[in-house]
Amino acid sequence: MDPIFLGLIGLGVLFLLIILRMPIAYSMILVGGLGITLINGPGLVLNQLKTLAYFQFSIYSLTVVPMFVLMGCLASRSGLSAALFRAANAWLGWLKGGTAMAVIAACAGFGAVCGSSLATASTMGRVALPELKKYRYSGALATGSVAAGGVLGILIPPSVVLIIYAVVVEANIVSMFLASIIPGLMATLLFILTIAAYVIVVPESGPRGSKIQREEFIAATKGVFPVLLIFGLVLGGIFFGFYNPTPAAAIGVFLVLGHGLITTRLNWNGIIESIKETAGTSGMIYLILLGAELMKIFLSRVGLPQETASWLLDAGISPTLVLILVLIGLIILGCLMDSLSMILLVIPFLWPVLSEINGGIYQVAEGSGFGMSTDDLKIWFGILALIVVELGLITPPVGLNVFVISSMAKDVPMIETFKGVIPFFCVEILRVGLILAFPIITLWLPAISSG
Amino acid sequence: MNFVEKCIRSLVTWWAFAGGVLLFLVVFLNTFSVAGGIVGNPIPGDFELTEMGVAIAVFAFLPYCQLTNANVTADIFTSKASPRLIAVFGLASSLIALLFSILLFWCMYQGMVDRYNYQYTSAILLIPMWIPYVPVLFSWILLFLAAIISVKDFYLNSTFRAA
Repeated sequence: MDPIFLGLIGLGVLFLLIILRMPIAYSMILVGGLGITLINGPGLVLNQLKTLAYFQFSIYSLTVVPMFVLMGCLASRSGLSAALFRAANAWLGWLKGGTAMAVIAACAGFGAVCGSSLATASTMGRVALPELKKYRYSGALATGSVAAGGVLGILIPPSVVLIIYAVVVEANIVSMFLASIIPGLMATLLFILTIAAYVIVVPESGPRGSKIQREEFIAATKGVFPVLLIFGLVLGGIFFGFYNPTPAAAIGVFLVLGHGLITTRLNWNGIIESIKETAGTSGMIYLILLGAELMKIFLSRVGLPQETASWLLDAGISPTLVLILVLIGLIILGCLMDSLSMILLVIPFLWPVLSEINGGIYQVAEGSGFGMSTDDLKIWFGILALIVVELGLITPPVGLNVFVISSMAKDVPMIETFKGVIPFFCVEILRVGLILAFPIITLWLPAISSG
Repeated sequence: MNFVEKCIRSLVTWWAFAGGVLLFLVVFLNTFSVAGGIVGNPIPGDFELTEMGVAIAVFAFLPYCQLTNANVTADIFTSKASPRLIAVFGLASSLIALLFSILLFWCMYQGMVDRYNYQYTSAILLIPMWIPYVPVLFSWILLFLAAIISVKDFYLNSTFRAA
């Protein structure tokens, strides 16, 4: 059989299995494994499976994943979100719409210790929704800002999805973290400005908070020091090259655990729940990674990415148009699927295509398809892909952040929450456009750090 | 729920906890190694211990994922399907998990024998590399047992008229 045809059938079967509720990990394992068997015979696969799984699970740069997952789980259960929100509210609460702005700022801060959007939205929702209700914020603005704020969890390092992306495309994790800082701060600022504009258009939606006493202001501000310290030690240590991401993540877990135990906000039950959640999440991620590896081997054996790239080039489609189409496709898929599994599902196919269009993995900036070296393209595309897959969290039909928030705010109909996130969604599209038009936004910090 | 099933469920859960404890040990190892590094006394071989520890821990999580249905699916396309049809899909995926656990147990058993015969060791601490395969093989046995439970559950759901 023609290998390209086989590859296309493989992709078709893969999507069919996923539609029929086969776990994404097993769909990829099945298609990848059978595909390689059809090309090279069963002997090769059986031989590879002897060591492939262990090899894959013991990759050093992946060891940060369960640790950052654990850190996020512990952080969600140790009162850090409450402290962040209290401080942000002390600073911003007196403004019109200030408490909603405080939600955004606190989400950004929590994103700095937790790499998951869902966890950020749900912990912050627990803390902030009662306050927002107390100050008589409209349901749409209150739930919309918490759901949107959760999205920040993913882009502000440490982000689990970003690490996974880096491992799949073999990018430098530290460069990816650096690249995500400016877009992350940009989103925080844009979201806060969105709320400022929202309360001008709909004045009764976000009233002013009460004036804060001086003592409360100082006490609340002091409360963020633990978060700053943890963030500083974890990411500062990585950026200044004191240690690798793995020891950094370990230090993060250690500090969050210690802080939770000393302040007695984290109890035995919280630790048990954290372990359970970490087991479920990391087991799921690693099994998909194994499937992604098998798919990667299968697709590269049939040469599908190369064929697709040359077909696109022959058809005269410009690289930029390809990229825009890919991003639109990711937004649509992101509306149907969980973002992490989507990255693992599509990147093993999409990244080689883009890299091929650019001129191969060793391509330098001159003469390349996208006008940048493939290493830069890796970073730029990763940040863009990450932002757009996360949009699925706040759009129908499976906007998980929206679901989580509306299950907490029972008195606000879900349609109100979806209405509330529309302004944030528009701002996100604007941000994608800016990053697309000015790659320097992502590439500047990594370039500085590498000299 | 009969006695055997109860035993398997708690065994799988405790095994995942053991993995979690191992992950915490790796966390402490790395923290102390950095702290020791500052005073010029890092822990030797922390790299390979981390790799081994995390790999064993994550393998120990897999049966728990099967038992708690933590492996993500894209539910949106079949959200209107009947509970019975969904049970059929679940049955198919747990059968795949069942077959996969048998295949991987068999392959990794051979991998372990290879490593034992060739006497591979880790680079610094010279740990024989067949050793981490032992708990991993146990994880595959537990995944097999967990998959049997899910096959049973989905089979019952698919044959009984679901409420």
